[in-house]
Amino acid sequence: MPLDTSTTYPLTKLRLDGRRWNELRLLQAQISTNPASSGSSYLAMGNTAIICSVHGPAEGRRGDASGGSAGSSGAVVEVDVNVAGFAGVDRKRRAGGSDKQSSRIGTILRSAFQSHLHTYLYPHSTISIHVSVLSADGSLLAAAVNACTLALVDAGIPMPGLLCACTAGMSGSASTPRDPTNDFLDPLLDLSLPEEQELPFLTVGTTTTVPVGEAAMIHDDEDEMKVSMLTMDSKVHCSYVETMLAVGIDGCKQIREILEGVIKKSARR
Amino acid sequence: MSTQRQATSASQTPHISPAELSYLYTSLSLPQNPIRPDGRSATQFRPLTAETDLLPGTNGSARVGFADGTQAIVGVKAEVERTVVGAAASYTLAEADGAGDLAGEGGEGSGSAAGGGAGAGAGAGAATAGHGSWVQMSIEIPGFRDDDALPVFLAEMMREPLVESVSSGSKGASGDGEKEMEGGLKGRLVINRRWHWRLYIDVLLLSQPLSYPLPLLSLTTHLALLATKLPKLKSKGEEDPFFDDDWNAAEYLYPRASSSFPKFGGSAAGGVPPPVQHVRPPVTLLVIAVGDNVIFDPNREEIAVADTVLAISVTRDGGSEGGLKLLSIRTIDPPSRLTQPGVPNSENVATLGATAGAGGSEEQQPAAATAVLNPVTGEEEVPGVWRPRRGGVKRRTVAKMVKLVLEKGGVGEEVLEGLESVEVG
Repeated sequence: MPLDTSTTYPLTKLRLDGRRWNELRLLQAQISTNPASSGSSYLAMGNTAIICSVHGPAEGRRGDASGGSAGSSGAVVEVDVNVAGFAGVDRKRRAGGSDKQSSRIGTILRSAFQSHLHTYLYPHSTISIHVSVLSADGSLLAAAVNACTLALVDAGIPMPGLLCACTAGMSGSASTPRDPTNDFLDPLLDLSLPEEQELPFLTVGTTTTVPVGEAAMIHDDEDEMKVSMLTMDSKVHCSYVETMLAVGIDGCKQIREILEGVIKKSARR
Repeated sequence: MSTQRQATSASQTPHISPAELSYLYTSLSLPQNPIRPDGRSATQFRPLTAETDLLPGTNGSARVGFADGTQAIVGVKAEVERTVVGAAASYTLAEADGAGDLAGEGGEGSGSAAGGGAGAGAGAGAATAGHGSWVQMSIEIPGFRDDDALPVFLAEMMREPLVESVSSGSKGASGDGEKEMEGGLKGRLVINRRWHWRLYIDVLLLSQPLSYPLPLLSLTTHLALLATKLPKLKSKGEEDPFFDDDWNAAEYLYPRASSSFPKFGGSAAGGVPPPVQHVRPPVTLLVIAVGDNVIFDPNREEIAVADTVLAISVTRDGGSEGGLKLLSIRTIDPPSRLTQPGVPNSENVATLGATAGAGGSEEQQPAAATAVLNPVTGEEEVPGVWRPRRGGVKRRTVAKMVKLVLEKGGVGEEVLEGLESVEVG
């Protein structure tokens, strides 16, 4: 019997690594791991481990094309992603400096945080984020977003709320329209690398606006989640997207609670 | 950024004025006891934290962080590869590299055909000796490309002593573990005549280098190699290799002296001293000379005024009762030659009138204290005025540096002992 989630899940309702459909992997995080940077974090989601460090806001480099005109209204976010050679199962050799996957993650991170952070507070400056992937086992983009959020919080860069990301997929190929009478596919939360390779999945990032002023008094416990980032590389029938999105947003909510716990714990120290 | 990338010398020079450089040089070159900016003694290292085996996906890994916040992570991965028979004996290094890559990518069928065809009838005896190209090292420094001068130079500087270290007299020494280390690391990588291990050492510097990163990278690599394990071989002789699935049965790349004894949960008792290993990976130490003083583990400012910067690689091989062995010495371009010189008052147009007016008696004093800095150009040393150090290094200084590293109870031994006490495994 082939060992993959799409064959074992309908039989056992358990995924390859023993989780149920709505369970996250073990998420561990630390902040202020590297005293040499403005802010830094270490985040592990299952076997995916990421170290992130933030430098800045600092004066942008002179002679940089983006520094002159584009940076005048607010800070420019720079992201540098580096997937270590030993991160995967096999040692990957790379030509030049960066590969397609890491530059793609870097671009998504940059656009996500450029619009998320209150960059207008730091005109003519640069916030540079350096992400090192130590171990890659699925949900790389989501883990990188969470690690960056923690590092940016550690650096004290103002943002409207925590940007948390999570992956969600379906337990089958889901290429045909959904049949309400015979619905055997379940959505899955937080995919690992073998699941990512066989199943359709999306990465969703949400944020909450922390209520301030009068709003804080009126809506005390209202949790308003806003989707601020959504990417999907694989193919799925459109009737499944809503389910996946709902599960992903729910995962983001769980992750946000964990990240808040990490931040509060480090603040107490 | 572009100037920083081009900097091949010890590190980009910090922005220090000639007066500060001169002050630093004077305090570091005080006879007998140099005064360092951070209050260390000449042979004292910066405090560091270290841990090993933090990445489950690698054969061995380590993290070292200096107190100033610079951190490095090293991951070692090993892969089984088909040996191109005879390549080591009859081909040049570059050709062997190409053939090895071909065999690796072609997999079983085409690879063996190509390899077999190329090496048919060539001397097969060399296959048991191992090959230096089986160890690959790459260094990742933020802000630098892989093929920039600094990472490439650093990688080669650390790889060279690693593959060249051949334990000479280990055969006669005690302990069965040492026999495995015959032929050094290269010999250890040989599985049989047709198969060998290829070792990938990936070094990740996590922050911008605040000082020349060599000591940090070398210490981290040393620890990672100490923690590296290879799966236990189950096949025998010239069979295609297959390995024990049990990771607990895996053997250390650098065998432990205590491996013959039953091991209880990684020396669970904290009081038990870790076993003394007879064969160790090399450690590269950065040593500078300022005046007559020899200073270890310099920081960025100290390198900036150094007369000489040497990278000295030492190791301990089983040979002479735990004695250290010198593997390589490399000189590193000292950045002091790029610094801006100070202008003495006597030559300064702006202050010329002032010094002349102060009286002739004072002008005599510096003249008496001058020492000729460079006999060729007749440059004169004026106290308190910075002159970039140009020119060679005295034999006596190099000998003193090497002696301080190698002597019994010296710095090299101290470093190796300190690293030994890091809990491995």
